[in-house]
Amino acid sequence: MNDVSETKLYRLEADWLDAALGALERDGVEVLAPVKDEDGSVNLAPVTASSEVATDYLNALIPLKSVFMPRTEVLIEYERAGVGDVEVLPGAAPAGQRVVLGCRPCDARALVMLDSVFNWDYEDVPYRARRDSTTVVSWACMDPGPHCFCTSVGGSPHSAEGSDAVVYLAGSGPALLQVVTAKGAAFVESLGDRAQPAADGTALPEPPELETKFDTGEIKTWLDENFESELWEEVSLRCLGCGACSFLCPTCHCFDIVDESTWKHGERRRNWDSCAFCQFTQHASGHNPRPNQTTRCRQRVMHKFKYFPDRFEQVACVGCGRCAQNCGVGQNLVSILSRIQSEEKP
Amino acid sequence: MHRTGENRMNATPVEESLREAAAGAIADGTVGVVIGYGHEAGSDVATPLFARTPEQARGLVFDATCVGNLAIYLPKPEVRALGRTGLVVKGCDLRAVNVLLREHVIEREDVFLIGVRCAGVCEPPLHKCTVCPVHDPSGCDVTLGDSVEQPTADASRANALVAEMEAKSIEERWEFWKRQMTKCVRCYACRQVCPLCYCKRCIVEKTTPQWVETSPHLRGNLAWNVVRAFHLTGRCVGCGECERVCPVDIPLGLLNQKMAGLMEQWFDFQSGLAPDEQAPFTTWDPNDPEEGIL
Ligand code: SF4
Ligand code: SF4
Ligand code: SF4
Repeated sequence: MNDVSETKLYRLEADWLDAALGALERDGVEVLAPVKDEDGSVNLAPVTASSEVATDYLNALIPLKSVFMPRTEVLIEYERAGVGDVEVLPGAAPAGQRVVLGCRPCDARALVMLDSVFNWDYEDVPYRARRDSTTVVSWACMDPGPHCFCTSVGGSPHSAEGSDAVVYLAGSGPALLQVVTAKGAAFVESLGDRAQPAADGTALPEPPELETKFDTGEIKTWLDENFESELWEEVSLRCLGCGACSFLCPTCHCFDIVDESTWKHGERRRNWDSCAFCQFTQHASGHNPRPNQTTRCRQRVMHKFKYFPDRFEQVACVGCGRCAQNCGVGQNLVSILSRIQSEEKP
Repeated sequence: MHRTGENRMNATPVEESLREAAAGAIADGTVGVVIGYGHEAGSDVATPLFARTPEQARGLVFDATCVGNLAIYLPKPEVRALGRTGLVVKGCDLRAVNVLLREHVIEREDVFLIGVRCAGVCEPPLHKCTVCPVHDPSGCDVTLGDSVEQPTADASRANALVAEMEAKSIEERWEFWKRQMTKCVRCYACRQVCPLCYCKRCIVEKTTPQWVETSPHLRGNLAWNVVRAFHLTGRCVGCGECERVCPVDIPLGLLNQKMAGLMEQWFDFQSGLAPDEQAPFTTWDPNDPEEGIL
């Protein structure tokens, strides 16, 4: 992804969304945009008309990662013709060209973290293929929600990291678009005359203010020293050990691989997995190095705020707040981290 | 190092008596911990509060946000390690405790029950509260709060949501459930929050062979949710926790209500009304008129 050397701003006409959908459809590009379903949740889903798109939403329930790392995907298929005669077929081909239109900046920023992992010691082929064929256009946040804390983890309601372009919507009127990468520039081209270079001196709106809740540096310092601490026992007592927080987290990326087969045919699938599950680290011998919720809760915090920064120099959290919002027992990463920071700074 | 629950101003009379009962039970060594509800910034519903000192018990609250069923914590080894458990229960939560007693997951002396009379939670009240048969929890060690009038049971109201679903054609129902089950991400929050899903190893975790596919595709999700509904038939107490915590809002309560309706119709049985009840599927009786499968 070649970064465009200087930030380029465009003014989008009020009907830009229709123009974009029309042009992309003609080019055979699939568009995924926020859509409110019958039960009232907003998720990224294929759209063809602007009337389907939810523009005034806080964030998608299922994070953007699902576009690149689906909750279940076929890696290979196999056919058994006879004894010892097995044919192995590649899994479903990754999707063709796609544009994500209207994810939130925090979710796009999470892609930077996923990119680090999936191109690390091994280049993950399906992930990479989906990343390459997808353009990510985020909508800058004008009105963050009560659980948002992106500014505490190095992000911003207007962050452009991980996005190919960022759109600043102003109601249903004309919008501003900031090109971030070459893919973003190509997207602007598809808008034809509905996008014009913004007048000289046009400035991006100021991002809304968000209170900073903690300092990831100080937290890391505490985590470096406190693998063993009473705090882990205490904060894990109420934890249910379900996967809601990790599955809804835009940066959590652990997976499980399973074979599902009938007598002659089988699929090898990759599914989302969670470090909160009791079987996540279970060995075949029966030994489990993380035998209780205390060690599993610790792992989730350590992975995001110590191990990931140790390896990739960034925390694995973008501050979307989904984990706190969706926890059945009100477990709250922000309150755990704020407490850790108060331990560090007595 | 411990957190003292927020001492909210203006405790209500029931909260005052709750805090006093809990603090007393901790102070005199009756229990090692009282699990009740507290308030925390960032959560719309009251959160579980583990009070291990009388001071921490000052953070206990009881109001319309106390939705959760805390009976979930009773079988957990890490909770039992804290000593005898004091548990704050509403009537519906007590039904779950009764099933844990009847299935001998816990014994009565393991737990000190602090019952709170309850007129209903949430605004507007949850469906279960509008048809609640247990506003006044009975059989607790202490019971607090003003008495609440117990309306006479109305089976048609209790079954209203199921009846609405059954009025649809089978094709419509299939479309509905297909859409719902497709949403399932297999986070197992429904299982983990269920006070009666206490199996040490759930069938989806049994991998040799893998009885239930763990992939979150329609086939696997249907298998999972149907297995769960079956395993809870005659045991589920209708606390609604599974539906509340499902992050993708699958109306799991409908499945449970359907099964509960059948249990009532066929066996005249409602689960969890008493700890010594004879549950149809888990009672062995030499005088059983059915020969069964033997
Ligand atoms: S079901 Fe009954 S006891 Fe339970 S919360 Fe509702 S009214 Fe209270
Ligand atoms: S809580 Fe909902 S999404 Fe999670 S496993 Fe249960 S039904 Fe599926
Ligand atoms: S199945 Fe759901 S409603 Fe029934 S007892 Fe379990 S959590 Fe409560």
